[in-house]
Amino acid sequence: MAHRKKNRNVGVIGVGQTKHSSHREDVNQAEMIHEAVREALDDAGLKMDDIDCLVHGNMELFEMIHQPDLWHALGTGAYGKNTFRLTTGGTTGATLFCAGDNLVASGMYDVTMVIGFEKLQEGHTTGGITNMADPLWTRSIQTGALTGTCAYDLIQEFGEERANQVAMMYRIIMDQHAGLNPKAHRAFGLEWDQMDHLIKTSARLVGELKIIDMCSQSDGACAVIMATEEKAKELSDNPVWIRDHITVHREESFTMLGYDQATVPPLTHKVAAEALFKRNGISKPADYFDVFEMYDPSSWWGVDWLRAFFLLEGDEHLKLVEEKEIAIGGKIPVNPSGGVIASNPIGATALVRPAEACLQVRGDAGPHQIPTPVNHALASGFGGTMWTVLIMLEKELGW
Amino acid sequence: MSEKFGVKVEDIFNTMEERFRPEGAEGVDASFGYDISGRGRWKLTVKDGSMKIEQTDDLGGCAAVIQADADTFVGVNIGKVDGTAAFTSGKLSVDGDVGAFGTTAKLFKRFTPPKKELTVGEYVLDMFGTLEARFQTGAAEGLDITIGYDIGGEEGGQWTARIKDGKCTVTEELVPSPSLTMIMKAKDWVELMLGKVDAVNLLTTGRAKVEGDMNLATKLGELFAKYTAPGEEEEEEQELLVLKKIISVNQKFATGPVMGKYLNGLKEKKILANKCRECGRMQVPPREVCALCRIRCDEFVEVGPKGNVRLLDTAYYASPDPLTGETRETPYGLIYILLDGCSGQEVFAHFLRDDQLDRIEMGWNEKKGTIVRPVWAEERTGKVADIKYFEIDE
Amino acid sequence: MKEGFDTTDCFLVDGKLALPYTYFAGRVGSKFLTTIRDEKKIMGIKCNKCNKVFVPPRQTCDVCMEDIRDNWVDVQNTGKVTNFTVVRYDDKHLPKKAPYVLAMIQLDGADTPLVHVVEGIDLDKAKIGMKVQAVFAKETTNTILDIDHFAPA
Repeated sequence: MAHRKKNRNVGVIGVGQTKHSSHREDVNQAEMIHEAVREALDDAGLKMDDIDCLVHGNMELFEMIHQPDLWHALGTGAYGKNTFRLTTGGTTGATLFCAGDNLVASGMYDVTMVIGFEKLQEGHTTGGITNMADPLWTRSIQTGALTGTCAYDLIQEFGEERANQVAMMYRIIMDQHAGLNPKAHRAFGLEWDQMDHLIKTSARLVGELKIIDMCSQSDGACAVIMATEEKAKELSDNPVWIRDHITVHREESFTMLGYDQATVPPLTHKVAAEALFKRNGISKPADYFDVFEMYDPSSWWGVDWLRAFFLLEGDEHLKLVEEKEIAIGGKIPVNPSGGVIASNPIGATALVRPAEACLQVRGDAGPHQIPTPVNHALASGFGGTMWTVLIMLEKELGW
Repeated sequence: MSEKFGVKVEDIFNTMEERFRPEGAEGVDASFGYDISGRGRWKLTVKDGSMKIEQTDDLGGCAAVIQADADTFVGVNIGKVDGTAAFTSGKLSVDGDVGAFGTTAKLFKRFTPPKKELTVGEYVLDMFGTLEARFQTGAAEGLDITIGYDIGGEEGGQWTARIKDGKCTVTEELVPSPSLTMIMKAKDWVELMLGKVDAVNLLTTGRAKVEGDMNLATKLGELFAKYTAPGEEEEEEQELLVLKKIISVNQKFATGPVMGKYLNGLKEKKILANKCRECGRMQVPPREVCALCRIRCDEFVEVGPKGNVRLLDTAYYASPDPLTGETRETPYGLIYILLDGCSGQEVFAHFLRDDQLDRIEMGWNEKKGTIVRPVWAEERTGKVADIKYFEIDE
Repeated sequence: MKEGFDTTDCFLVDGKLALPYTYFAGRVGSKFLTTIRDEKKIMGIKCNKCNKVFVPPRQTCDVCMEDIRDNWVDVQNTGKVTNFTVVRYDDKHLPKKAPYVLAMIQLDGADTPLVHVVEGIDLDKAKIGMKVQAVFAKETTNTILDIDHFAPA
């Protein structure tokens, strides 16, 4: 795969987010976005005049609106600026992050702000997703973003009892993390003794995918400011460096459910992880990274994808969950923010991942800051029919 | 009684008749059970636009039974607890038909707790209890002061608000020599806070006394947001406008030669795949190219029509049909089939006959799943529904 | 696809996209519209930095990036046309039957123009600079059409 080293280093110097919630009747879209923009500018200690370029993104059709970047200028500050709009499905936020990095690294702009948002209360999420499929065939038979296939896979491989237990453990760990994050949308206060009850009684959505397993539908926005190495050092005391990122796309993925292990189709997460870590000389990602902010749309996927991203074998990923190594205080904390199951304003979601990872590197995450130093962070985006963006962040230059 | 919200579980049930909305009950003919832990069971029967509620342990014949604790049940009914969140987190569960239970949301007007007039003592406690929350950080910049409250009478008490570094801390005591002390009887304090009497009136009639920095006294209105009695917040809320619309756009899609050939095949009860001449992969429905080899696929092969099921994904929650906006009946089964002539991951997705959901075995590696066959529609125009569904081949 | 390829199997399929959505005006937008509805009064918001009065109001001055949400000011129900066009086609999404004048109207006391409809004049008499006055709707829709149209003042 053609990949060149960056033209110049890029650092994250400002991060802003709204409090994510199920409803924001008090603000329109531009006003909600502005809350994140304002927080990012304040975090960086910058004014809008300091920003050279904006990239704006969200999901197409989720609010049934078009070209929102036009009237969102009231909230984004785009007036008179270079502005781009991006939309790549669930990965939108992560693609925004990569695009901002590329725009600065290329030498085109010195300081760039990327903005992702979604106001899911205003549209029809599953209806919007349905319209993303091929209108002549797949649109009529697909089930929105919901599928029980991952649960089925885990149950087939590890047995019903263990698979259910691990998925619910993952769910409760995420809920406990969300409880520490004042910006998280849903924090139910789930307790360990609820596990069996929830496994038995939580309503099924599709197959074994239960309502408690699935991510929320949220309103929220996120903004991140990036600058060249020179500018970042001048403007910020604690820039977080974007070391590398990779995007792996694939065709519409309905052709991966044949359940024939002689022809197992590649999982893009694994393809991305292998390529990214290889070119950066990392052989044991679970040891190298100090925190991982993963795009985990359900607890089942969260568990399953640990194996792909960390290049683990057998049931090593299950053990990470069972031994609570993915909890804050564990060996490799995953989603100290509570992750996507807690907060999911979709166009912002995949940007919240690297944004939260940056806060962890800086030590500025607040109540959900992990207790040990964070020097190396990983963040992922997921979207479409199974494709991947994977991002590496560093506290120090000179890797 | 739900201690948390001050409303009895019985009140919710006893007011159901007066809150009943016949227009919301149109077409509903079912019984619903309520099992409120530690408080009892109730059965609601709705038929022909009327209803009956009874307290009974026999919840037989109910389409759905809701289980919750008193706080959750009351909270949901008075709008203080989000029903979806309670359901998702398992604090409220439904045994039986969840969809049917959803119809109960439209049956009743919301329960509004009767307004209870607070006693002077309760008001005083609530006013000081909410003082920190009503503090306005923005107005306190640079201030380092203490405000003493000496509220007389049996229902009174003494409090001090300490304002420093943009923070306000309230303690139940009177510290020595505050910057400002306000002295009055509990009853007058309550009337002042509720806006029934103004401060000048109280001061001129001698019912209230202020000691210390008088200038500070005039700033108090900025330092603390106006007190609102419990239950009155909602009326004070600004009206927030919302626009509800349905976007409706007619579309036309060109099939192109490849999808067109496939769809035309369906009209003749033929399922066509196309084969990549580089890697040999079959795609069904056919695609213009093999995305892996990046070459055009122009070799068509008839496959099926029978095949074995590799996966059954049972949907209990359905997306709306974009053509009609209507939602399918659930549960329904989406199946991934290896049609005869296909192998590996070359699956074909379609629906399963509704009454065969629990009779399907899924294939795994060499092991074949249940064999199914298509059931063709009488009239075929080249679309998904030309195959009504697949059914077990028996 | 090469020119002249076999089009025997090509045909057109009718489709439709019908999905519900909801839009929240927010606090600022709601106050603007409910004041028009309830008090027949048009309000703007002033940026204290650049002194511009925005109608319709906005929460942020997008040039100064100042939070201006509380700086409400009253403007007049009268103003002048700063630009206009004539809409000459009918479509279901349009607020009036064609032909009609769609104008930018700068209300007295405001610095930004409001887009609205001018009625009560011959189409060829509409001109930039003409004075107009708001005519409020009899029935509310909770939208900017609670001002039914503007008429020559």
